[in-house]
Amino acid sequence: MSLEKYRLDMETCRRCSACKFIPFEKVTGYDHVYVCPSITRYEFHSYCGGGRMVMGTALLEKRLTYTDKLLEIIYNCQMCGACDTSCKYSMDMEVIEPINEIRIDCVESGHTLPALDRVVNSLRRQGTMVPGARARKGDWAEGLHLKNFKKDKVDVVYHVGCQTSYNRDMWKLAQTTAGLLQKAGVNFGIGGADELCCGGRAYQMGYKTDFLKQAEANVAAIRESGARTLVTGCAECYFAFKVLYDKHNLKGDVEVLHTSEYFARLIKEGRLVPSKKVEMEVTYEDAYHLGRLGEPYIHWHGKEIITSIRTFDPPKEYRRGTNGVYEPPRDVLKNIPGLKLVEMDRIKEYAWCCGAGGGVIESNPAFAEWTALERIKEAETTGTKAIVTACPWCISNFAETISRNGSKLKVYDIVELLAQAI
Amino acid sequence: MVEREKLEEIVGADNVVEDQAVLDSFAKDMSFVSPVKPDYVVKLRSTEDAQKLVRLARETRTPLVPVSSGPPHFRGDTVPSEGGAIMVDLSGMKKIIRVDRVNRTVMFEPGVTFGELISAAKAEKLRLNIPLMPRQTKSVTASMLEREPVVMPTYHWDIADPLQCVEIIFGTGDMFRTGAAAGPGSLEEQWAAGGGQVEAAGPSSASWYRVIGGSQGTMGIVTWSSARCEILPRLEEPYVVASPALDRIMEMVHWLIRLRIPNECFVVNKVNLAAMMATSFPDEYQEIKNNLSPWILFYNLAGYEYYPEQRVKVHEEDVKGIAQRAGVEPRRAAGKVSAFDLLRVSQSPSPEPYWKLRMKGACQEIFFIANFQGVARSIDAMYEMLAQVDYPATDLGVYIQPIVQGVNYHVEFDLFYDPASPWETARIRELLNRSVDRLVKCGAFFSRPYGELARQILNRDESTVHALRKVKGILDPDNIMNPGKLCF
Amino acid sequence: MTLNRDFYKALEDALGPEYVSADPEITETYANPVRHGLPVPPRFEAITLPDSTEEVQAIVRLCNKYKVQYKASSTGWLYSDPAGPNCIKIDLRRMNRIIEINEKSMYAVVEPYVVGGQLQAECMKRGLNCNLTGAGANCSALPMAAHVNLGHLSQSGSYGERNLLALEWVTPDGEIVRLGSLGSLNEWFCGDGPGPSLRGIVRGNTTPLGGLGVYTKAAQKLFHWPGPTTFPMEGVSPKYKPAYIPPNFLMRYFSFKDLDAMVDAVLKIGEAEIATELMCFNAAMMAANLATKNVEEEREIYNRFSKEVQGPGFMVLIAANSAGDFEYKKRVLETIIDETGGKPLKEVEDPENQGGYIWRYFREVGSIKETGRVLGPQAGMVGGGDCFPLMTNFIKECSKVKERLIKEGLLFDDGTAPFLQSIEHGHMGHGEVLARVSLQAKDQMAVAREINRQSNEISIKKHFGVPQHVWGDSLHDMYGPNATNYHRWLRKIKKTFDPNGASESSTYITAKE
Repeated sequence: MSLEKYRLDMETCRRCSACKFIPFEKVTGYDHVYVCPSITRYEFHSYCGGGRMVMGTALLEKRLTYTDKLLEIIYNCQMCGACDTSCKYSMDMEVIEPINEIRIDCVESGHTLPALDRVVNSLRRQGTMVPGARARKGDWAEGLHLKNFKKDKVDVVYHVGCQTSYNRDMWKLAQTTAGLLQKAGVNFGIGGADELCCGGRAYQMGYKTDFLKQAEANVAAIRESGARTLVTGCAECYFAFKVLYDKHNLKGDVEVLHTSEYFARLIKEGRLVPSKKVEMEVTYEDAYHLGRLGEPYIHWHGKEIITSIRTFDPPKEYRRGTNGVYEPPRDVLKNIPGLKLVEMDRIKEYAWCCGAGGGVIESNPAFAEWTALERIKEAETTGTKAIVTACPWCISNFAETISRNGSKLKVYDIVELLAQAI
Repeated sequence: MVEREKLEEIVGADNVVEDQAVLDSFAKDMSFVSPVKPDYVVKLRSTEDAQKLVRLARETRTPLVPVSSGPPHFRGDTVPSEGGAIMVDLSGMKKIIRVDRVNRTVMFEPGVTFGELISAAKAEKLRLNIPLMPRQTKSVTASMLEREPVVMPTYHWDIADPLQCVEIIFGTGDMFRTGAAAGPGSLEEQWAAGGGQVEAAGPSSASWYRVIGGSQGTMGIVTWSSARCEILPRLEEPYVVASPALDRIMEMVHWLIRLRIPNECFVVNKVNLAAMMATSFPDEYQEIKNNLSPWILFYNLAGYEYYPEQRVKVHEEDVKGIAQRAGVEPRRAAGKVSAFDLLRVSQSPSPEPYWKLRMKGACQEIFFIANFQGVARSIDAMYEMLAQVDYPATDLGVYIQPIVQGVNYHVEFDLFYDPASPWETARIRELLNRSVDRLVKCGAFFSRPYGELARQILNRDESTVHALRKVKGILDPDNIMNPGKLCF
Repeated sequence: MTLNRDFYKALEDALGPEYVSADPEITETYANPVRHGLPVPPRFEAITLPDSTEEVQAIVRLCNKYKVQYKASSTGWLYSDPAGPNCIKIDLRRMNRIIEINEKSMYAVVEPYVVGGQLQAECMKRGLNCNLTGAGANCSALPMAAHVNLGHLSQSGSYGERNLLALEWVTPDGEIVRLGSLGSLNEWFCGDGPGPSLRGIVRGNTTPLGGLGVYTKAAQKLFHWPGPTTFPMEGVSPKYKPAYIPPNFLMRYFSFKDLDAMVDAVLKIGEAEIATELMCFNAAMMAANLATKNVEEEREIYNRFSKEVQGPGFMVLIAANSAGDFEYKKRVLETIIDETGGKPLKEVEDPENQGGYIWRYFREVGSIKETGRVLGPQAGMVGGGDCFPLMTNFIKECSKVKERLIKEGLLFDDGTAPFLQSIEHGHMGHGEVLARVSLQAKDQMAVAREINRQSNEISIKKHFGVPQHVWGDSLHDMYGPNATNYHRWLRKIKKTFDPNGASESSTYITAKE
């Protein structure tokens, strides 16, 4: 059981409950201090990061087995990593890694949720993580005459992702992005109908084999294209390409950037000049796959040393959420004339999840909506008219929640506002 | 009735008193509780005496009423509620056991008065946080056990301060020491280790000193106590602020204490200030009073070991800012009362005769605790009620003492009257009856109610009564300790 | 053991089925979550999540009726595990409201799951501060929820036993007692009376740790906060830094040639009333507070600090009310340090680090790191709250125990300098010996027990008082006969208020004869 390699991490848990809260240095009031949607919604300790550490050790010791109840607890979690970041403010231990490993172990031992099986079967058969989609992957690009990186020589691969490709409401993101890249004179290509799913969501759901298959295929295609840069507008795809592929030694030399990073760079280089006023007050949602989970993977090779305490040689450096992508999206927004950014209470490395990740939107849409609604209510306290984010899964979940709950808030992707200013 | 011989075996013949005049003097006090004459007054000399007496009282089911202050008594707690009682007189236990400069604490027996303790502490450059002008015969132990408010709110961290540890003989006859005094080790062994019986809480997960405090002698007989001291200042600069507007005074008081600036700090109205300062009545009293604003705040700035002048200067500057914001002006005198005289008076017991008795011979106190918002509300309500019984508003004494570092306020109404006048006495009784409910509605918490008021207040809170009776059942299962008081 | 079905159904009826669970997947995570090297106790039979005092009362009454024990906890960090079967957990997570903050009367009222960070942040908006329990801002703000509720602010802001005002208490047998002004007039400002104070029953220098019913709301004193409404912290976790040090704030660390010199300085500073916080952290704790990368970095910093310190020391924090006040306090501090031979730890007061330290100490976010960022079971002993010199001597003696066990290879070597703190401007003090049991020790529980055994022996033989780690029958039975048999009176409280023994009291005292 590969969970075994995380045993000592799990046993390092002190039961301090930091995993339930935003880092305490950043608490500025009574409201908006919780950071874990799972325990905030379900209340029992099993649902938080610390509870999952105990769950992990209990599985190793055979005090627990994979029952329906355990699966319910395991999968009522967006895998947002907030617990990991909050814990690692103080502690030297992995949290989200063993939590993911529990899911992998769960799937590999044949215990799955039917709702997630459906999604992964869709991946296996149709190559999409959005089952039931009526469109084909490249349909959004019809009439745009964009290069295909598998056939044409390009410098940059623009990876669109399943949610944007298969959800007609999201096509505008891809179309707008493509338009901006063209305006900036970037030599880019898309996969179109041949674009492969990154596999990231499958990994976070526990389907490691499926993920690896997608990863290997993607990496091979990109290598063959000769492109040196991959840009994506989906935070989940970003996390997959940048972090998960690297974790599994698949990433290679390709530079992986989110559209917000890339456009921030293009603005700095003067290749995109936002000059039109966009008079709006907005707040920004840090998609966690771009933020705290989006920081580069740290490869460590060494040995664990057990003396009177547990140390490592060489010393282990931990991914604590410090180096996620927080400023580039803000830089883009700040460069849009007339646009005013008003921050929420929970931002950057301690942002509240949009609700869509980890398979929750598929297996428990009510919980996904509840999570999104918490965030929408928080956004409304800023007094702004719109919430801006950098991930189509966030946009989709917010948009649906807003329409079902009667909020007047609008939802935008960063690229939409940037395009308005160009 | 207990046999005299048995009592003499414990304390010696000279310490068992049956003189009728003496018994009469304990049968009533200046409160309105019904008189009940005790059978004996027994003067204790030691812890052993107390223990033996309690055991005897248990055997014979004899009520014991502890008293450690000398007369006059005001609140009815030292008047027996039942016949056949023995007054347990601790006023002769006058040992000052220890004055500990390093640990800023003193330990003393219950008969020690404020005057006696102040000079003993002063010799070690220490001082006690004392109530406002206590009477000369008042026992320090009794005052602390009664949770009387003290005049230095900055040093009043908790409502029980300055009380630290006590040695008590419970109503079971068991000797117990609270807080750090419990041990391990005898007192001498603790001192040798560097202890000073400072920690009041405990031992472990109960704080017995709190249960003993406010109990009016219903839990046991305290045979010594320790009290927290502060250091004597090297420099003192007192000030007064006079104003007709209580809200401005209160605003200033709040900030003075919030910023932990003053030592002594309290508010009195002109009636009380004149009563405190005048030595002759009515002329001197009237003259002082007529030259005063309705409300007077007194505070004292102090400097200690390090750069006392600078400390005082800094505080003076900071106070200027507070005063400006509150719309008042500190001065060195209010009318004919100098701040320095008021300082002197607030650091000592009252000269004789006791200041509350000088005006008319008697005084009824109505006192309670309020929060900041409740102070003005309750005072307004009281003035309204005076009119209903024709008590002149110009004669009502008011004393506001911030306590618990400004979290609470002791509010006290002093109703002066001539005890020889049936009409004046009746008026006071009427006012006492009428005022309680109204004051409670204004936010008055009678945390230490005496006499009949105790029943009235406790009857409002049945679950507390139920819990208190459980505690009483633990510490005094035979209800021999001052039965009939509070809810016991 | 399976719970009586009627009992379980009654719990569901009282709380709603989604707030009761006997599923092992739920109860497992409440059974001693701190796993390494420790035996796993039995699970709670069920976990309940009440939302109100009335729901708590309903649970307690049901437990009394069906002869099931219960153990309540709020944030639940230590001392809240089950001790045996037939016990349910009352998890107070849902009771998380701030009831009132009264600025002019300087008190706040909270439910058990308001955490220190929340309450402090709300207080700061109003120019006030509260004493956070030393374990950290992640712990309950209810002064009755902690083991002791001493904190970093205790120099000027005392601690729970002294700060508690009114309290709402569900007694072990299911009565609701509202202490003080709460019972009389539904106000929170005073916890004492009428008459004797029941505050004396519900806690002493420690709390009953779940053994005397459930505390559902409490009021506590607040203190002035001269700083900004929000502290100007920037950066990304864990590398937070303030944009500036607020005016009239400073923090220093001084070490002394020996404990006597340090005690002298502490008492002088106390009597001068200049310090907002005064914590005698040792170099290891100062290093742990600063390190963000890993324990190796922490060791590196500690090695640097160790070369700089000449002996035991303390962190002193001044937050003055005005510029004049600040200059005065700074001057006095310098004079006292000069008189007592204190040596500053420069790296701590470097502006690069100082501001971060100030905030981390006010917000109390370092305790988790300081006590156990890496794997290693915690152990130690916790002194009392008596005179500062006495408590210092106690810890000095107990540090020798730690030293011996380090030499025997049974404890992690993070030095043996004491951890002490000054309370109420030096009127009282407290100390602890904090240790990590070596991962190589064969029986880690035995090592923890040994520290306690030797410390208890020292305390009893050398008359250092009844320490705050004393709980449970065997320790009370050991100390009681040496301390006017307090244990018998404590048992009487337990027996009287908990006639059915429903409030699980392995960390308090039982009513056994």
